[in-house]
Amino acid sequence: MKKINYGKIYTAPLTMWITFFFVIPTSIIFLYSFLKKKLRGGVLWEFSIDGYTALINQSFFKVVWFTVVISIFATFLTLLLAIPTSYFIARSKRKNLYLFLVIVPFWTNFLIRIFAWISILGNNGFLNNMLLSLGIIKSPLMLLYNQYAIIVVTVYTYLPYAILPLYSTIEKFDFSLLEAARDLGASKLQSLFKIFLPGIRSGIMTATIFTFIPALGSYAIPLLVGGQKSFMIGNLIARELKVTMNWPLASSMSVVLTVVTTIGIFIFLNTNKNKSELKNEN
Amino acid sequence: MKKNVLLFMVLSAFILSGCKDGKSKLYIFNWSYYIPDTVLEGFEEEFNTKVVYDVFESNEEMFAKLRAGGTGYDITFPSGDYASIMINEGMVAKVNRDLVPNLKNIDENIIRKIKYDPIMDYSIPYMMGTAGVAVNTKFIKDFPKDFSIFEREDFKGRMTLLDDMREVIGSALASLGYSVNSVNESELRQAKEVVLKWKKNILKFDSASFGKGFASGEFWVVNGYAENVFLELDEDTIKDVLYFIPKNGGTMYLDSMVILKDSKNVELAHQFINYIHRPEVYAQIADYLMLPSINVEARKIVKEIPTYTIEDLANNEFKEDLGSNIELWDKIWQEIRVQN
Repeated sequence: MKKINYGKIYTAPLTMWITFFFVIPTSIIFLYSFLKKKLRGGVLWEFSIDGYTALINQSFFKVVWFTVVISIFATFLTLLLAIPTSYFIARSKRKNLYLFLVIVPFWTNFLIRIFAWISILGNNGFLNNMLLSLGIIKSPLMLLYNQYAIIVVTVYTYLPYAILPLYSTIEKFDFSLLEAARDLGASKLQSLFKIFLPGIRSGIMTATIFTFIPALGSYAIPLLVGGQKSFMIGNLIARELKVTMNWPLASSMSVVLTVVTTIGIFIFLNTNKNKSELKNEN
Repeated sequence: MKKNVLLFMVLSAFILSGCKDGKSKLYIFNWSYYIPDTVLEGFEEEFNTKVVYDVFESNEEMFAKLRAGGTGYDITFPSGDYASIMINEGMVAKVNRDLVPNLKNIDENIIRKIKYDPIMDYSIPYMMGTAGVAVNTKFIKDFPKDFSIFEREDFKGRMTLLDDMREVIGSALASLGYSVNSVNESELRQAKEVVLKWKKNILKFDSASFGKGFASGEFWVVNGYAENVFLELDEDTIKDVLYFIPKNGGTMYLDSMVILKDSKNVELAHQFINYIHRPEVYAQIADYLMLPSINVEARKIVKEIPTYTIEDLANNEFKEDLGSNIELWDKIWQEIRVQN
């Protein structure tokens, strides 16, 4: 009897979906980035690298630098919060309840949640009013419209995306290894850094990717809670597309963003693979 | 059997909703907060139709959406510069003036100022105004009534400017005594230095939520359209607000209604434009926006005192299409936005 490979059939809808909504649009962006711009939007069908030469200027690098720094900070803080939370959930008796609570915010629209943060951090907001009524501060603090507000809201937004993969890794982690480490004389910190964290590395990696990459592409968060200096790549691309209507430039920025993240993930995954292979040989 | 009943119910629901959809629909693409709901409801009722209302935040956004293939809209509301671009690009349909008798109500002095479409072949004026400055007098007592307010370091971090280069650079040009439509590089460079001085003291460039921030007391001085500020305020806070238009001039706009070329409901679109310029309808809009009426008959019946009058705009200049010189503006604006 001939063996049919059902795998291909099962994944056909997904393949088609990705082709239509990912591969084709990305190819269009790639193509447009090498064309000439048309005044007030659109492209002329002539080859040109203007889109790329226009990138070589100080202001673009400044924006890229700002974006990367913000994203790194946000990712680091997200992991710092997500690891203990996931540990707690994985060890808890009410896992389902806690997981459910992690997912609850998804029921509300993303933009509405940003506006909720504005009303928490604002001058007349919850936090300022509480501090004022407790007498800790005398006049409202300016908590919004700066890069810290961007980081806070980014961390909040991507926290669930970090908790879920971490949880699923930690749940599978064999906690008796920690006991064994302690029995063999490791301190609490040693067992944490040498046994626990390496053991959940794959979860940490997924969580990092899930946080860092969307943070790089932020648009609405810096727009709404950022200040006059908070201009991220996403905002720059939107501006080139919507305001100055330089489609090739917007496309070349998107291509650069895509290439940089792809290379980043590639390196990230590869170093990890090498390490785990080493471990297996041992 | 039960299954069949359910199927029947579902099907009939589809058919019924199909009937409802059989009503003609008018698709309007407009600025946010620009027509009161009561006016739209009145139109829906009188003409037995349904209005679908989508919004945009800037001319550029509207234009980019239509350009990128956003079709299906019947009417949109570009400002003068974009109305002329859209006419030149052949994006709008000619207006049949016989179907819009209420055009006779529009102030002739204003029509005379329209250079790009002097006899209203394509665009029918809707509303005229400017982006001035709103000040919260609860926090600020003493201040200059022009854009030099943005140079005041004591209000640092409490002020916003529009995220719109035509407005901000235009205001800077006007404060230097140049035309808001200048394409002279040295004039624009001088304007850039002025804007950089303002930028040091502002919290952010914002066109989307300055009204909300102003209402909640976060921002004390905002550069923006009066209606976006006042519609966020309640009776109690409105008395603390002073809205001014700099005496040394600035930009002003005339937003017009245009019927898009691919409109499927041209007749209904004409009826809508005619309805808007009915004096009693127009008065409702002017009252809601608290803007000066360009409809002469409506001026007699408006109830609210507008935030400013047409006379206040005497020194202001219409924004015109800059053609390919817009690239110079783009460059300067980008430098302003990214420079620290």
